[in-house]
Amino acid sequence: MSIMAWVLGVAAILLLLIVILQRAGFTQGILRKKIGSPKQSYMEEFADELAGDFLVAPTPYPKTKPQHPEIPWQYGADRLVLMVRDPNWLFAYWEITAAKQDEFSQQYGQSAWGSSRPVLRVYDVTGVEFNGSNANNYIDYAISDYVDNWHLEVSRPNSTLCVDVGRVFPDGRFVTLLRSNIVHTPSMEVSNLVDEEWMWIDGIYRTITRLHPGSSPLMMEDVSQRMGLVPLGISSPEFTRSANNSNLP
Amino acid sequence: MNKGNLCFVLHAHLPFVRHPEDEHFLEERWFYEAVTESYIPMISAFDELVEEGVPFRLTFSVSPTLLTMLTDGLLQERYLRHLDKLIELAEKEVQRTSNTVLHPVAVMYRDRFHHARYVFAEKYGCNLINALRRLQDLGRLEVITCAATHGFLPLLMTQPGAVRAQVGVAVELYTKHFGRPPVGIWLPECAYTHGIEDILKEFGIKYFFTDTHGVLFASRRPKYGVFAPVFCPNGVAVFGRDLESSRQVWSSNEGYPGDFDYREYYRDIGHDLDYDYISPYIHPDGIRLNTGIKYSRITGKGYDKEPYNVEYARYKAENHAGNFLFNREHQFQYLNSLMDREPIIVAPYDAELFGHWWFEGPYWLQNVLRKAHYDFPGIDTITPGDYLKKYTCNQVVLPCPSTWGNKGYNEVWLCRENDWVYRHLHIAASRMVELASEHAYAGGLKERAVKQAARELLLAQSSDWAFIMHTGTMVDYAIRRTKQHIQNFLRLYEQIKNNSIDESFVGDLEYRNNIFPDINTNHFKGQNPEVYSETG
Repeated sequence: MSIMAWVLGVAAILLLLIVILQRAGFTQGILRKKIGSPKQSYMEEFADELAGDFLVAPTPYPKTKPQHPEIPWQYGADRLVLMVRDPNWLFAYWEITAAKQDEFSQQYGQSAWGSSRPVLRVYDVTGVEFNGSNANNYIDYAISDYVDNWHLEVSRPNSTLCVDVGRVFPDGRFVTLLRSNIVHTPSMEVSNLVDEEWMWIDGIYRTITRLHPGSSPLMMEDVSQRMGLVPLGISSPEFTRSANNSNLP
Repeated sequence: MNKGNLCFVLHAHLPFVRHPEDEHFLEERWFYEAVTESYIPMISAFDELVEEGVPFRLTFSVSPTLLTMLTDGLLQERYLRHLDKLIELAEKEVQRTSNTVLHPVAVMYRDRFHHARYVFAEKYGCNLINALRRLQDLGRLEVITCAATHGFLPLLMTQPGAVRAQVGVAVELYTKHFGRPPVGIWLPECAYTHGIEDILKEFGIKYFFTDTHGVLFASRRPKYGVFAPVFCPNGVAVFGRDLESSRQVWSSNEGYPGDFDYREYYRDIGHDLDYDYISPYIHPDGIRLNTGIKYSRITGKGYDKEPYNVEYARYKAENHAGNFLFNREHQFQYLNSLMDREPIIVAPYDAELFGHWWFEGPYWLQNVLRKAHYDFPGIDTITPGDYLKKYTCNQVVLPCPSTWGNKGYNEVWLCRENDWVYRHLHIAASRMVELASEHAYAGGLKERAVKQAARELLLAQSSDWAFIMHTGTMVDYAIRRTKQHIQNFLRLYEQIKNNSIDESFVGDLEYRNNIFPDINTNHFKGQNPEVYSETG
């Protein structure tokens, strides 16, 4: 009986320990996300994926790797950079310095920062020489105070766009903190503009327009085939799967 | 008679994986494998065609990082040692497999490696760029360039100076090695966005390529689709990729490389043989690696594999070559019925697909080029430069931003796994522009430091790191490389700004990251009229 109690006790302690450790790891993960520092857990992912799928014998990776070189996350410069991912998505990253924040507080009051909420305002400025107030329209994306980069689904192919990071007051007033560069999203279709002296040939388009780059499975295959390129001799699990498919008649 | 122009483009690239600090650096093997399995077999295939008198034309892009590694004395020496070990292993394998069904395959590998050694060391003096230059001078290859470190240009365009440096450094390196400026460029990842064409024009580049939709979705509907080039408004020509010919070679379901008679990539004696036997030929730390000796054919879907049969595989490759041309002939026939000029079909591939991944690829390509000459009089192999001389008048459109990556745009290089790199790359680029402007006439140690800062920035910009982070394999290396080059850059920047340059630090980096010894940092500053006189 007493042995059973012992065993149960030890098990309970172990369980508690595991829970505590996991919690610690979990909150650490959240914190890291909040301050937006680059992920540190790539080694584990790598090991998991390799072991999970195709390696016959586990491959020992050379001893313990030294720490990654330290680089800053913030550079002490106010900036907001907008980048195009595809016709539907943009990516923005920014840095708001303490000086910028002070400037805002001086202008709108000490409590203004706390009483306002952060917003990304994406302007459609297609065909417009943007001066801050002549955008065709805009969309607001609510963000949290703890992020400094965001993937934005805009769904606006072939458009000219710009973004502000700013604060919205409870009364709806918007104040710009930083303005980005201007970007143009790619098109997703054949243009309707036609040159008279270069009249398009319908027969040619009938053979190719059915393949749509935005959704073509061909492109999916392409990317896995490209694994032959860079990690030479190192096969990703993804690639293995598609390579097995390639054995189909 | 039906007539059409077939334009093969092979893009050869590896990131700069030179590690003088460690002879057995894992990632350096990417380079060795590509040399043995892709570059040498391809060069041999072309050389044989030259000897036979087959007048083929093919466009070959060699990235400046690869060019640097191919001409680097240390890597040449190490490669030769690597190849000698491989030959030693192949000789052992010939003994081990005697009287077995694997014996002829072992003999094939041994002979190939001996031949590779002859081509590399004796024929071309350990420098394969000699081979490419010769093939270009003989009128067979049109060798073109690529961005300096394979930077993903659309996402670097926030600092046009960074893109200008990627292009300018590449053009100068090319000119130094080939004795003439490049006529064309392969944009890394086939990635184009508006404005890149202006920088290309500054350096006298006449043409580049985009994926199919880069041309098809242009600002104005292109008359001939992708079957003729278009001009950007500034006059630089753009050639769009043909989907049908790509699919036949690339597609995992329909493509040739998956044929059951072809060699199976995933069975390598480096992984399969007894540890004690194979250990001298894998990593000294005991990490099992591909040796390049693989005895199986794909066989079928299942796990069990039949032994490779050289004759079957060659027969299939010849058949597939004929099939490829037959299909192109049909494509041309159809296009001839619609077009008032000869169509061009642009078929670009990663060079490393041939040989390394698709073992029979170089042999297939050789057969396509030979058959096109003898059996398909209506098909001419051609380069973009040739086609532009043939047809000087082309429609003017603004191409659509695009890449050849998954889904056709930038997502592979800008996703949650790698988006963090850009905040560092962009600020480093603007600081580099600052250094180049403020210290344009610096000499001595300061000049060395500014140049090294430029090298570190360029190395950090390689699209390969973002690509590897996206794929999820070897990620640690890619992150490490990105951070290390950024860190090196930032230190140099601080030292230059504070006038406290640490000579031994600069010297160590010059030794480790010795790419682009003659780098011209003026490219970062802005449009430089001197460029024209330098590059023609």
